[in-house]
Amino acid sequence: MLRLLVSRILAAIPLMLMVATLVFFLAQLNPVDPAATIMGDDADLESLAEKRAELGIDRPLVVQYWDWLNSAVVGDLGTNWFNGEEITTELRDRIPVTLSMVFGSLIVALAIGSAFGVLAALKAGRWPDRTITVASSLGLAVPNFWIGLVLAYYVGVKLQWLPAIWPTTRPDSLARWVEALILPCVALGISASAAIARQARSSMIGVLQRDYVRTALAKGLPVRRVVSRHAIRNAAIPVVTLAGFQTSALIGGSIFVEFVFNVPGLGRFGVDAILRQNMPALLGFVIVTAAVVVVVNIVLDLSYAWLNPKVRPE
Amino acid sequence: MSDALAGLGGSADAGALASPAPVPQESAAGATRSRFWARLLRNKVAMAGAIYLVLVVIAAIFAPLLTSHDETFATRFQDILFSPGEAGYVLGTDHVGRDILTRIFFGARYALIAGAEAVLVALVIGVPFGLAIGYFRGWADRIGMRFVEIVVAVPAVVMAMAIITGLGTGLTNAMLAIGLVFSMIITRLVRAEVFAAREEFYVDGARAAGASDRRVMWRHILPNVAPPLIVQTTLLFAQAVLAEAALSFLGIGADASQASWGRMLRDAELSIDRTIWPAIPPGIAIFLTVVAFNVFGDGLRDAFAREARGGRVGVGDVVPKERSAAAAPPRPPGSDDPLLILRGLDIVFPKPGEGTDMTVVRDVNLDIGRGEVMALVGESGSGKTITGLSLMGLVPDPGQASAESIVLDGRELVGMDFNDLRWIRGREIGIIFQEPSAALNPAYTVGRQVAEPLRVHLGMSKREARERAIELFAEVGIPDPHKRIDAFPHQFSGGMAQRVMIAMALSCEPKLLIADEPTTALDVTVQGQMLDLVGELARSRGVSVLLITHDLGVVADLADRVAVMYAGEIVETGRLTDVFATPRHPYTEGLIAAIPRNEPRSGDLPTIPGVVPPPWEWPDRCHFADRCPYEAIECRRGPVDLRQLGASLTRCERSHELELRGVQHAAVVAIAGWEQPTGEGEPA
Ligand SMILES: Nc1ncnc2c1ncn2[C@@H]1O[C@H](COP(=O)(O)OP(=O)(O)O)[C@@H](O)[C@H]1O
Ligand code: SF4
Ligand SMILES: [Mg+2]
Repeated sequence: MLRLLVSRILAAIPLMLMVATLVFFLAQLNPVDPAATIMGDDADLESLAEKRAELGIDRPLVVQYWDWLNSAVVGDLGTNWFNGEEITTELRDRIPVTLSMVFGSLIVALAIGSAFGVLAALKAGRWPDRTITVASSLGLAVPNFWIGLVLAYYVGVKLQWLPAIWPTTRPDSLARWVEALILPCVALGISASAAIARQARSSMIGVLQRDYVRTALAKGLPVRRVVSRHAIRNAAIPVVTLAGFQTSALIGGSIFVEFVFNVPGLGRFGVDAILRQNMPALLGFVIVTAAVVVVVNIVLDLSYAWLNPKVRPE
Repeated sequence: MSDALAGLGGSADAGALASPAPVPQESAAGATRSRFWARLLRNKVAMAGAIYLVLVVIAAIFAPLLTSHDETFATRFQDILFSPGEAGYVLGTDHVGRDILTRIFFGARYALIAGAEAVLVALVIGVPFGLAIGYFRGWADRIGMRFVEIVVAVPAVVMAMAIITGLGTGLTNAMLAIGLVFSMIITRLVRAEVFAAREEFYVDGARAAGASDRRVMWRHILPNVAPPLIVQTTLLFAQAVLAEAALSFLGIGADASQASWGRMLRDAELSIDRTIWPAIPPGIAIFLTVVAFNVFGDGLRDAFAREARGGRVGVGDVVPKERSAAAAPPRPPGSDDPLLILRGLDIVFPKPGEGTDMTVVRDVNLDIGRGEVMALVGESGSGKTITGLSLMGLVPDPGQASAESIVLDGRELVGMDFNDLRWIRGREIGIIFQEPSAALNPAYTVGRQVAEPLRVHLGMSKREARERAIELFAEVGIPDPHKRIDAFPHQFSGGMAQRVMIAMALSCEPKLLIADEPTTALDVTVQGQMLDLVGELARSRGVSVLLITHDLGVVADLADRVAVMYAGEIVETGRLTDVFATPRHPYTEGLIAAIPRNEPRSGDLPTIPGVVPPPWEWPDRCHFADRCPYEAIECRRGPVDLRQLGASLTRCERSHELELRGVQHAAVVAIAGWEQPTGEGEPA
C-alpha cells in the first residue's frame, strides 16, 4: 500500500510541473501589458517601464519562468501584482472555503446519488427507476449558478431561512459556517448527484448480471445481503472513478457558485486574476487546483486497491 | 452531462462511463442503418429533444422577425422593470427595460453559434490528433496522451480560464478555449476507438492484403469511430451551451452588448433584491436546450447500440401448473424412492425484441435417485442450465418457470417463494458453475466466500466457519489450505477456483449437487481430475449429482443414468449403459459419435451438421427434424411424445424401426481421453 502511495506521488510531480509550464506559457500569449493594466491609461512610458522592472516582467520569459518555478517548489507563489499580498497567503485563506464546499457537496452527492442509483437498478424498468432516470437527466442539465440564483432568492431573500450570500465577516462558529455552506453546496451538488446516480444505476445493473451474484443467490443468502455484500462493492468501482472526475468538475463548478453567493473562495480569486491579467495569481490558482485534483486522484487510487484486490500490490 | 460548468471535461467523461456497453461497430451497412433510423425515430424522448432543437434553430435564425423589439434596445424606461405582460412585454423586461422575450430569441443565436464554435474546434483538433496517435501508436501515443493528461489534470473550466487569459476575454475566445479543452476528450475517444478497430482482425487482414495504410485507415477505422463520435459531439454541444452561459455569467464570455442567456442571468443578478423573474426565462432556455441535446445524444447512443439487457436481482421461483394433456407421460426409469422428482417443467422467456413469449424448456420430467449421478446432456442452447437453475428457484429474469411438481426428499418446492427457497439453496442443493473464476466474487477472499453459507445456514461463528472452510479446502485437494483461504479468486487457476466452488457447494452437506459443465472452462489436463473429485466426493457423502454437460464422453465413467436434452425437450433418458449400448434417439447417436478423442472441442458436433436453432425457430413437430439424418414423412405429423422403448424413454417417431449405432461403455471410457493428458491447453 505504501509503495503504491509513493509511486503515485512520484508520478504526480512531473505532471504538476508540466501543468505549471503549460499554463505559464499559455498566459504569456496575451499581448496586453500588465503594467498598463495596473497603472491605468494615463501612465507615462517611464513609469510603465519602472513598473515592468518592479514586476520582473521585463526579463526574458525563460528567466521569469525559471525564477517562478524555483520559488514555487518551495511554496512561494510570488506576490499579487495588484495588492502586494503574498499569493500563497491569499490562497491559504481561500482553500478551506472552496474545499469545504466541494467535499461537502461531493459527500452528499455520493450518498444521494449512490442510494438512488442502486434503488433504480434494483427496480430496473419499473416506476422508481423511470422517475430516477428522468430526474437525473434533468439534474445534469441545470446550470448550477442558476439553481444558486433561484435558491438565493427564494430561500435566502424571500424565506430568509439561510443566508443568501456569504457573511461579510468570517463565520465565527461552526453553525454559521455550515449555515452559509448549505445553499452553495446544494446548488453545486445537484448535477454531481445526478451523474453519480446514473453511474451507480448502470454499474449496479451490470454487476447484478454477473455470475458471482448468481453464486451468492445459490448459497441461499437473502437479497439484502447479496446486494449489500456481493454487488455493491463491485458496483462501487466505476462510481469511484466517476467521483474522481466529479471532484474535478465540482472544483470547476465552484467558481460559478462562489460568484453567485459571494463566497471568498478560490473561484473568485481565479476569475479576478483573469479579468485583470494578474499572472502570478492565475498561476497560483491553477497550480492549487491541479494539486487538489491530483491529491484526490491518489486517494481514489488507494480506495480502488481496497475495492478491487486485483490491483492491490502483492 | 454533468454540472453546469462543472461539467466541461469531467462531465463528458462521466457520460462515456455511464454507458457500459461500448457503441458497437456497424458493419452490415444498409440494413443496420435503416434499423438505426427506425430505432431513433421510435425513441419518443429523443425525438422530442430533436424537435425542440429545431425550434431553437428557427428562433435563432428568425430572431429579428419574431419580435418588434431590439436586442440591446433599452427603453426610455431606463431603470423600470416591467413584469410579464405589462406594457406589451410578453415576458417583461430586465432592470434596464430590455424586452426579455427578444433577448431570449437572440440568446439562442449566441448559444448555438458558441456551441458550434467550441464543438468545431474540438473536432478539427481532436479527430486528426486522435486518429494519428491511435494509428501510429508507440511514441506518438505516449507523447500525445501525456499531453492530454496534463490538460485534463485541472478542471476543464480552470484550463479554459487559463487559455482565456492568454487569448483575452470575449465570446469567441472563450469558446475557442472551451473547444481546445474539449478536443482532448475527442482525442481520447477517437484514439480508443482506433485502438479497438485495430484489434479487429480485418484491419490486419487488409494490411496483409497490401492495402495502403491510408486506405485502411479511412475504410475500416472511420466507420467504427463515427457512431461514438457522433454521440459524443451531441453531448459536447450540450456542454458547450452550458459553458457559454457560465462564462458569460462570469463576464469573461459574451460582453454587455450581446444578449447571451448567461449574460442575461448576470444582469438578472443585479436586480435580484427586487425580483427573480428576469433570471427565470434564460435559465429555462439554457436548461431545456441542454436537456434536448442530452436526450438526443442518449437516443443516438441507444440507436447505435444493439439491444441491451436490463436487470434487477432477477431470479424467479417455479410456479405451479396444472397438467393439461390427458395422458401422463411414462415415468422416467429409476429407483422407486428418488431424491428428486421433477414433473412437467416449462420455462418461457420473452422473445428478443418482441412482446411474445417463447418456450425454451418444455415438459421436462426427471427423477434423480439417492446417491445417484444423473447426467443431463445436450448441446449448448438446449436449456440444460436453466433447467438446473429452476430446481433452486434461480431462473434468470425475465424467464418464467412453471411445473406440476418438484419434490426434493419428500418436500414440494413448487409454490415456495424466494425466502422459503433460501433454506433449500446452498443447504439442500449445492451448485457449481461452468466458469469458476467468474462465479467467485473478485472482491472477497475465497475463505470468506466458502464460510458464508456455513454462517448463514448452520449458524457457525466466524472462527468455526473458517476452521470448517480450511477442512473443506483440504478435502477438495487445495494445497496449503491455511494460506490459500486468505487468497483472492484472481490468485487461483481455473482448476483451483473450481475446487473452491466445490468446497462451497458441499459446505452445508447438501443432498443434491448440481454441476453445470464443471470442466468445460478448464484446461483439458485437469478435467479428468476434477470429474474424479466430484465423483469421489459425491460417493463418499452419498450426495446425488445432476451433472450437466454437452459432452457425453465426460459422463461415461461417472454417471448412473443419462437424460439427453435437445432444444428444450428431453429426447431420451435411461441407464447409462443402455443409452451408450443401444441409443434410441438419432440425436443420442450423434452425441455418442461426437465423443471427443482429445480433439479440441467447439460448439458444433462433428457428426451432426448445424447447431441448436434459437427457441423461436423450434417447430411444432420433432425439434430435431431439421438436422436428423433419418427424418421421414411420419416425423412431420406433429409433436412427438416420449415413449418407452426397451429400458429407455425416447422421443422419436421412428425409434422402433431405426438401428442406431451405440458403443460399448467400456470402450468409451478408454477413448474418452482425460486419462492421458495431452498438455494442449484449452482456452477457457
Ligand atoms: N437470461 C436469459 N435471457 C433470455 N433467454 C435466456 C436466458 N437464459 C437462457 N435463455 C434461453 O434459454 C435457452 C437455453 O439456455 P441454457 O439453459 O443456457 O442452455 P444450455 O445450458 O443447454 O446451453 C437459450 O438458448 C436462451 O434462448
Ligand atoms: S422423429 Fe424423425 S426427425 Fe425426429 S429424431 Fe426421430 S427420426 Fe429424426
Ligand atoms: Mg449451459
